[in-house]
Amino acid sequence: MTNPVIENVRRSLGRASQTPTGPRPAIHHARQAESIDVEIESFLSEIKKLSGVGRSLVPSDIDSELKALIQEQNIRRATVWETAHLRQLGITEILHSLGVELISPNADKHEMATCDLGVTEAEYLLPETGTLVLRSSAGKPRAVSLLPRVHLAIVRPQMLRADLHQIFAEVKDDHYLVFITGPSRTADIELTVTLGVHGPRSLYVWMVGR
Amino acid sequence: MPKAQLFITCLGDQFYTSTLQNMTRILERLGVDLAFPPGQTCCGQPLFNNGFEEKTRPVAWNFLQAFGQSEASIVGPSGSCVSMVKHHYPSLFKPGTAEHNLAVDIASRTFEFTEYLVNILKVTDVGAVYPHKVTYHASCHYLREMGLKTEARSLLNRVKELELIPLQEEETCCGFGGAFTVTFPEVSRSMMENKVRDILASGADTVVMCEPGCLMNIAGGLHKAGSKIRALHIIDLLANMDSTSPDVGA
Amino acid sequence: MTETPTYIGFEEYSEHVPAGIPPAVQQATNRFISGRAARVAELPQWEELRHIGSDIRLHTIENMDVYLSRLEEKVVAAGGNVHWAETAEAANQIVLQIAREHHVKTAVKSKSMATEETGLNHALEQEGIQAIETDLGEYIIQLAGTGPSHIIVPAVHLKKEDVAEIFSEKLDLDAPSDPVELARIAREVLREKFLNAEMGISGGNFLIAETGTLVLVTNEGNGRMVSTMPDVHVAVVGIDKVIPDWESLTVFLKLLARSATGQKLSTYTQFITGPRREEGEFGPKEFHLVLLDNGRSKVLKDPVGREVFKCIRCGACANVCPVYKNVGGFAYGWFISGPIGAILSPQMLGTRTARELPYASTLCGACADVCPVKIPIPTILRHLRRRVAEGDEFATATLPTLPRLSAGFASIALAKNWIYRLGTLFLPTIMSIFRRGNWIANAPYPLSRWTRGRPLPAFTAGFRSWWRKAHSREDQDSTR
Repeated sequence: MTNPVIENVRRSLGRASQTPTGPRPAIHHARQAESIDVEIESFLSEIKKLSGVGRSLVPSDIDSELKALIQEQNIRRATVWETAHLRQLGITEILHSLGVELISPNADKHEMATCDLGVTEAEYLLPETGTLVLRSSAGKPRAVSLLPRVHLAIVRPQMLRADLHQIFAEVKDDHYLVFITGPSRTADIELTVTLGVHGPRSLYVWMVGR
Repeated sequence: MPKAQLFITCLGDQFYTSTLQNMTRILERLGVDLAFPPGQTCCGQPLFNNGFEEKTRPVAWNFLQAFGQSEASIVGPSGSCVSMVKHHYPSLFKPGTAEHNLAVDIASRTFEFTEYLVNILKVTDVGAVYPHKVTYHASCHYLREMGLKTEARSLLNRVKELELIPLQEEETCCGFGGAFTVTFPEVSRSMMENKVRDILASGADTVVMCEPGCLMNIAGGLHKAGSKIRALHIIDLLANMDSTSPDVGA
Repeated sequence: MTETPTYIGFEEYSEHVPAGIPPAVQQATNRFISGRAARVAELPQWEELRHIGSDIRLHTIENMDVYLSRLEEKVVAAGGNVHWAETAEAANQIVLQIAREHHVKTAVKSKSMATEETGLNHALEQEGIQAIETDLGEYIIQLAGTGPSHIIVPAVHLKKEDVAEIFSEKLDLDAPSDPVELARIAREVLREKFLNAEMGISGGNFLIAETGTLVLVTNEGNGRMVSTMPDVHVAVVGIDKVIPDWESLTVFLKLLARSATGQKLSTYTQFITGPRREEGEFGPKEFHLVLLDNGRSKVLKDPVGREVFKCIRCGACANVCPVYKNVGGFAYGWFISGPIGAILSPQMLGTRTARELPYASTLCGACADVCPVKIPIPTILRHLRRRVAEGDEFATATLPTLPRLSAGFASIALAKNWIYRLGTLFLPTIMSIFRRGNWIANAPYPLSRWTRGRPLPAFTAGFRSWWRKAHSREDQDSTR
């Protein structure tokens, strides 16, 4: 089934067949990973360059780190992804014990918008650019990394991939992905860089389990 | 003995007699056997660049006939004019015709002055002396269409007592653009004023370049700004000899 | 800027550039150029990436029908809706229809040049639907009622005091002249809109034919809000944005942000394939992709001109263009400015409306040096100048009579060397009337247009006679 636009395109190009004139040109240059320590270091260093906070932690650090974050960012309400790893780390329990009110990640957008903190994991990480790759599902709502002014992503070394090529090969059949590279920013007013325009102002990335 | 034909360019012809004389002297002193085909007029670039391809053809043909009588190389004091011949002349004529063949032949042996000195004659020291602070403006077609990124500097670095000072935004267009000065005079003027401002800020007493077009624009702009900074074609700078250099005579 | 122009008078616009525009534009462009230079220096494979990027885009242009078919098939399979808009008007009607079906009162928009091209906001407002720009720069100029001065930072020509005044007046509050505070105000005001709007409208940076995926790139997060919060997401995208597959995108993502702003990657890159899948999942229930032709398919006929569709909208060409930097975006008369605007507008609007744009350049070539996908902009400018001056197989000449006659005269004078030499004989004498010392400060028309800006040197024309005298023994005059 064709339509006038595609017909016009075909006619303008002088094409009769429905197959391409040749293969798509070859692409090279998939970066190869260095040692895991170097990759982790690069990744956390990029997060820092983007004005995010990147830390390497062991699970027993989480308690005190969360306490510090809550105080630093004045967190009163939070929402957390319901994933196995975050349950294992006891994130919701720790937050609860710190006096933070917990909102379900499946709450509606208006309620979610009142949260100060959103906690997620990630699927993949890119060390060259300090990028987090997040999927979307009922258990991993998109709004948790978007609406609250502070976004905390708890990640693990096995999520690291050397280059976009490796990640794309694994995610291309997903229906939704967001690549997050630093906190929300703009330079629209007199080129002054301002963080937290519509997305989160603060990004914390904790690498757990080296 | 290398042979070359002088391509004087229409701007050179009208405005830069002494630059052409200096070009002649320098090349003759380097042992080049020179000829000057008087049938030459203009390479046709102003017409071509403004979309008048049909009207360029007869002008290009005149050039090809004037220079095609000899098999010698062709040397000109302008990267943009030489680029017109080298890169655009063949496209003006139908492949397979005698005109096209001549255009391809001529294109292959037409050189810009600094290109000819440095890359063909393999000369960078012409015995010049110029005890001044000099800054260099890199003309657009010379730099990008001809790809001449190091030739001018190679020559300037061998000029005795010359101090080369960097120019802010050295590679930014001065606003000449051929007919651009006449089609969009206000924009051209703004661009020229930016270039003049950068030259004034450089601390040099001389600005040197390899294009008569840029020279017309920048020299005029400096004069209008009341500046004492000299604007020179590189040929005129290189023609400054000291008392020990052999004299070509007029 | 929402109306399609009937004539773009670049000369006139460029003679009336408000004084504040060039310095503001230059501040932005200098920042982006130095950022770009730093990022390019980090990637030793930069030139190769440009080359591959150019090849992929060319391949896609030459097979656009195939990739568009595949794209539609995949989007539909993913549960999305595909609409084809032959014209700007058709695109607006499609969006209006969707809006009516969903009783939309408020639509939130992330930056979309395609909707600026079609004037969608105006069409929505005529139906009583509020269309709110949410990209901070676009929001500011929407409130101010002006057009964009730069592709990436459209409000860069406004000082923070101007923005404070605009906010205070239009939002009825007391806005301080502090960029951080102003951004905070925008965040609060727009957040409420994001959460309550019935429809989100976006553009699209790329369309991946392989899986029917829309790629949306933003820094602020408004692209995410617009495609996540409302129940309906509509993306209006030009057909030239289609790319073959995900592998191709690795190249473009490496080229785009570095070329545009000097970032390694923009803050948020979304990959959207159809609406949300699960019941409890956050995200729009409906996804509509409106594919805009509006003259693009016609441009495809021209193998030289159609290289313009390689463009990935980074703005690097504008950032290095000395003409653009002295006039800003308004002078280009339509939604797209700088060198890319000078070659796109004349092809889409025609060389009657946009006959001045191909000439708005000195052909310096700085743009071609930085274009991440190697669009030969000076070559296309010359190609379009030929269309204006002499006409070609796609359009008749539109240049006014006077310049055409002058060119005809020049051609004759320069082709017949006896005419030229006759002129050379008399010109210095005639021009000496205007000469003072070594300069001619005021020449007659048309040279007056030169001397407006700076003096002409004196006509000396002495070389030919000097040569004859100096080389009279060896003179080999060729006879005619």
